Amino acid sequence: MTFFLLWLLATVDSAFIGYRDAAGRSALIDKRHYYRRALLRGALMGQIAVAIAGSVAVGLLAAAPQPKWLFETLEHVATRMLMIYVPYALILIATFLVRAIPSVDIRSITSVLVFGPFTLIRPLVVLAGAIWGLLAAPTASVTLLLFLVVVLMLGMEYVLDRLRARGFFYET
Amino acid sequence: MKNGADYSPEISDAIVSFDPETLQRRPVVKSEVLQQFSQLGNRKAMRIVERIPDRDDVLDADAVDRLLVTSHCEMQRMSEEFQHGKRVGELLKPLLKALREGGLNRRIRIVDIGCGTGFVVRWLMANTYLGGDVDLIGADFNQALVNEARRLSDREQLDCTFVVANAFRLAQPADIFLSTGILHHFRGDGLTELLKQHRDARAFVHFDFHSSPMSPFGSWLFHAVRMREPLAKHDGVLSAVRAHKSRHLLNVARSAAPDFVSTVYGTRLWRLPIPRVFHSLVGIRREYNDAFVRNMGNRIASLGKIE
Repeated sequence: MTFFLLWLLATVDSAFIGYRDAAGRSALIDKRHYYRRALLRGALMGQIAVAIAGSVAVGLLAAAPQPKWLFETLEHVATRMLMIYVPYALILIATFLVRAIPSVDIRSITSVLVFGPFTLIRPLVVLAGAIWGLLAAPTASVTLLLFLVVVLMLGMEYVLDRLRARGFFYET
Repeated sequence: MKNGADYSPEISDAIVSFDPETLQRRPVVKSEVLQQFSQLGNRKAMRIVERIPDRDDVLDADAVDRLLVTSHCEMQRMSEEFQHGKRVGELLKPLLKALREGGLNRRIRIVDIGCGTGFVVRWLMANTYLGGDVDLIGADFNQALVNEARRLSDREQLDCTFVVANAFRLAQPADIFLSTGILHHFRGDGLTELLKQHRDARAFVHFDFHSSPMSPFGSWLFHAVRMREPLAKHDGVLSAVRAHKSRHLLNVARSAAPDFVSTVYGTRLWRLPIPRVFHSLVGIRREYNDAFVRNMGNRIASLGKIE
């Protein structure tokens, strides 16, 4: 359940990275199709990131002298990471529900109070979750894995931007 | 009262120049722009201008245009997030209804001054927000921005018009002048002159950043997280800093356009001491005022005192 939740959050976060990467690049008015593709693209990129992190985790487990202990340790670390990431995600989900109210002022407030500031602090939240997890088991293998997760979570927007600059997903 | 007059100009103002009579583009000397920002101690602006290509010290007009189109696209993203199209539409609706009730029985012409890539005009048309008896026209000095507005409206088959023109000298004058984010570009007598040119219209609605103690920080935050283009970030934050105070706008409007009653819409949120991001200077000819106030419905709470 812990790893499933982490995967779910990673997928949703990646989808929104795809959205943010696409935002501000098309000046059309109706961008529903454009954003749907951006969300999907982000979510797919997220699966690649999850696969990379998962492969490294499996490799570490395979090489560990006590795989069962390492698995339980990783599960404990992941649980602690969720303690940071889940509240962040829940606040965003609740804000999306508020934003469904068709009021210009209410929607603007959601941006001013939550969406804008939460985008700004996202890198800190990513780091905080990783550090909080690491504090539970500061071993070399856990450090390596968490470092990789942080790099993947924070680097995906840059990767999407670079791919776009190289013409991988040309859109107007 | 200090009203932003001492602040550095925006880069987008400094890197383009048009002859106000012929609208012909004038060459902009890069070293002069750099010197201007150097004297103001604005190193960030200098770094941004330094990166713009030039030919024999004259800024490359195509490169400048590409930069401006990109920046406008990023600004549109912010407008979308803050529901600006709908915000404008919600204020125009009661205004249009007041003009109709006041006896205006032909198509009403709304002209967006300095429309850029025409987001507001295109949004209103795409969402059929104002009905079919309204002509929406966007006017801008910059050919590249107008071309982009036309390209986008053609792509979405929107029945609106974009012209490279002085909005106050159109063959058919506007009934309502509209603008977003241009008032703070006009300082001192420039603002007075701008508002004096509304004499033939029936109403005007000018949206701009609302100057409040929080606005520079808020603007910095959103430009930091939502914009990529350094020029857009720089100018966006500066726009909030340079925004005119509501009282100043009203004073200028009432002296420059005495045929109109004017007010500021949307300074406070729900009459609470919470400043809005954008407010608007609204002017309407006296004969339409009662109908306008009546048609505002519950939005009247966001309307200041009309004088």
